[in-house]
Amino acid sequence: MIRTYRALLVASLQSAAQYRVQSVLWMLLEIIRPVIFLAAWVAVANSQGGQVGAYDVRDFAGYYISLTLVLQLVFSWNAYDFEYEVRMGRLSPKLLRPLHPIHYAVVENLVWKATTFIPLAICLAVVVVTFDARFRTTPAHLALFVPSVLLGAALSFFSGWVLATTAFWTTRVHAVSTLWDRGVFIFAGLIAPLALLPGPLQTLSLVLPFGYMLGVPAEILRGGVNVPTALLLIGGQAFWVVVFYFALQRVWRAGVRQYSAVGA
Amino acid sequence: MRRYLRLLRLFFTTEVQYELEYRTNLVMDLVQTVVIIVTSVGAILVLFSYTDVLNGWSLGAMLVLLGCFYLIQGFGELILAPSFEKFMEHVRLGTLDFALLKPVSAQFLVTLRQFRVTNLAQMGLGGIVIAVGLGRLPSVGISEGLGFVVALACGFGLIYALLLALSTLAFWFVRVDNLMALYWAFLDAGRFPVDIYPGWLRVTLSSAVPIGVAVTVPAQVITGRLDFFGLAALVVGTLVAFQVASWFWHVGLRSYAGASA
Repeated sequence: MIRTYRALLVASLQSAAQYRVQSVLWMLLEIIRPVIFLAAWVAVANSQGGQVGAYDVRDFAGYYISLTLVLQLVFSWNAYDFEYEVRMGRLSPKLLRPLHPIHYAVVENLVWKATTFIPLAICLAVVVVTFDARFRTTPAHLALFVPSVLLGAALSFFSGWVLATTAFWTTRVHAVSTLWDRGVFIFAGLIAPLALLPGPLQTLSLVLPFGYMLGVPAEILRGGVNVPTALLLIGGQAFWVVVFYFALQRVWRAGVRQYSAVGA
Repeated sequence: MRRYLRLLRLFFTTEVQYELEYRTNLVMDLVQTVVIIVTSVGAILVLFSYTDVLNGWSLGAMLVLLGCFYLIQGFGELILAPSFEKFMEHVRLGTLDFALLKPVSAQFLVTLRQFRVTNLAQMGLGGIVIAVGLGRLPSVGISEGLGFVVALACGFGLIYALLLALSTLAFWFVRVDNLMALYWAFLDAGRFPVDIYPGWLRVTLSSAVPIGVAVTVPAQVITGRLDFFGLAALVVGTLVAFQVASWFWHVGLRSYAGASA
């Protein structure tokens, strides 16, 4: 398995090296939305005398910078590629190989994160300086951030695959993933830190899986929650990871049986 | 001129017919558009649950701005994005020859040829959001209404010029869809007034990638926050941008070598 992964990594790195400018531009696409909402919250805070709830301008900056970093570490794009592979019948050769197609996706994601990390760090440094961000992070937070971001990544990856797998039935998964994306938009901590979502939305964000992908690791990295709360939230993350892991196994098995390769 | 309008109508009706062939897909697209716009309004409401004004923009004015954003984005996705994507493919495959040989302006034929009709829904919903926003504001005078139409047309013109200039680069570099991603990245920033952004981003959004101006100024005009001179500057700026982009396109066209040449 280790040898397989090494070979896949090398191949994927080589193909990524061909498209350096492209990956930087796509990274820009990822970073711009948190910056937009950061600017909006800074405007709100300034109109309220510099403070919204427990956040002042510098806290917002710290939160959204953490969020961007988490977004980069956690997010995976598979749903889009997978639909294409199913629709074009490209999945068939992959199914015949003695390796589950999910491993290709794991490697592609790792390489994408590794290759865009340095340009991202530079961009984030600019934002940190522009907004004079504040972090309340303690060593305990950093220690908790590691499992939290890993669980977030696993959750995002498994749920992304569950969504993508619906392409076996619908061929066009676009509508499903749009609904999911909008769930992420509202509940994952993008339009506002989870603590600032108004009443019922906040309750929903704690019940639904979205916040456990992005908002929770970001708050932990920023040091915005105390340690007991952080542990509780990490428990929530673990719960959703388990749910989506088993869901994926179910859906994948049923889906592959259903798959007939479009155009075959 | 009449011939061009007739051609536009013809392009449009064929695309409508094409779209109506896939009705389930059409319905799904419409549902998605509604969901996207409703959640965007929701995001604005969340922000405004903590304040009454955002950098001088009230909730009503903000909704007008969001509606303008969807009008501009919808226009881009209705005609410009599909046409320019096709144009770059023409350059790559060498099939641009066919467009150049037709007895109409090649720039017209290439840049306004394709429609993605479902985006009319995006523009329509944008209009509704504007109407809701205006309902929360003191009534709009005729001069503001007229100014709004002018400013919106300028917004469309600015986006057109920007995308024309970007995609003209295809004549030299062939693959420029990455640069188009740059446009999509900055477009998202249009959903808030351009004046909330920090210096470097605000300057980019009002000059090199004038998406911020294209969305913010129409909203400023109809909510009565822009004087005549601001509007005049916008009109002049748009005309200049359009001329420069067209000139650039003609320069690029000269270095186009055709299929298998």
